[in-house]
Amino acid sequence: MESCLNIINKDEANNFANYLACPSCDLLFDVSMLADGESARCSRCGNFLTTYRTNELSHVIAYTSSALILLALACSYPFMSFKSNGLESVMTLPETALRLLSNGMPTLAFLVAAFIIIIPALVVVLILGLSVALKLERHYRWLRPAGKLVYHLQNWSMVEVFFIGVLVSLVKIGHMATVIMGASFWSYAVFSLFFVLSLSSLDRVQCWRRIGALQP
Amino acid sequence: MHVRKANSMERTLALLVTACVLYIPANLLPIMITDQLGQPTESTIIGGVVLLINMGSVSIAMVIFFASVMIPLSKLAMMFYLCWSVRNGPPETVRQRTVLYRVTEFIGKWSMIDVFVVAILVALINLTNLLVIHPGGAAIAFAGVVMVSMLAAESFDPRLMWDQRDGKDE
Ligand SMILES: [Zn+2]
Repeated sequence: MESCLNIINKDEANNFANYLACPSCDLLFDVSMLADGESARCSRCGNFLTTYRTNELSHVIAYTSSALILLALACSYPFMSFKSNGLESVMTLPETALRLLSNGMPTLAFLVAAFIIIIPALVVVLILGLSVALKLERHYRWLRPAGKLVYHLQNWSMVEVFFIGVLVSLVKIGHMATVIMGASFWSYAVFSLFFVLSLSSLDRVQCWRRIGALQP
Repeated sequence: MHVRKANSMERTLALLVTACVLYIPANLLPIMITDQLGQPTESTIIGGVVLLINMGSVSIAMVIFFASVMIPLSKLAMMFYLCWSVRNGPPETVRQRTVLYRVTEFIGKWSMIDVFVVAILVALINLTNLLVIHPGGAAIAFAGVVMVSMLAAESFDPRLMWDQRDGKDE
């Protein structure tokens, strides 16, 4: 559902809590009139602005805690195993980075670990912390920096890109050996689903409005 | 309201040039070294695409070609065009250019596919003396291209394009 919004003259926008500048073109909108489930788009450049949901925080807490458990599982079991001529080698998720390290590429190892494990984990922990604090209506000084970090880091999580990488690897080696997907593969797949759900359920603008309302 | 990104244009252009420079070793160096029974075979990004076509996996070859060649090159071209358009672009296309910017922001990380393939194969295929895969220098150069061009997209401020239009309205 898309709602028609009032465009605000820059001089009238004294009460910042209800006003929102389009992140693409800086046009100001009043977003305080949205009903449960309604979304808004910028009328000038078409950029998505916000969706308002009354019970979004409970959903976000459920999604993020499930995601954390799944990521812990994904890091502790074999991801894939490879069998050829009676020999077998097994790979875990952290090993995709650790083997690069033992091959003398510490920078690349760090980037891979950051893109597929560290950044996604950090984003999930930050969202969980934020939504628990907002649900309890407690104000902490770290709320604003945590919110900024979540929206800055989410573009750097590459869980879905990694899955395409897994698919390509399967095609590349499928002809020379038997490849078996382990428990970690499935946990990581479900993790990626909950990760996307956590991010899409916590609306950026509504998050700022809730933080703003808590400030003394 | 959000604070404007400082020196957006200079930073974006510097990062774009860096990405272009890194793209050269990314294509010249091997991305992966396959060591089969002590016989090392090096393969480049393009070599990997050709190999997949010869194996008959044309669709997967296309995925890698798009991710490693088309996306990074078109992203760099689009970002250079957007920077140029802040001053010289036709004001009536500013809406389309904002959409183009959202596209460059979204597609950047998909270029990492080939780097992840190398990381997975290095970790998975480790049968000592029989078959071992090592990462090549292109893997780090290419990861650099992706990272630097993502930073370039982040430092570009699309509101600069609307400023030009607003300036002409008044
Ligand atoms: Zn807009």
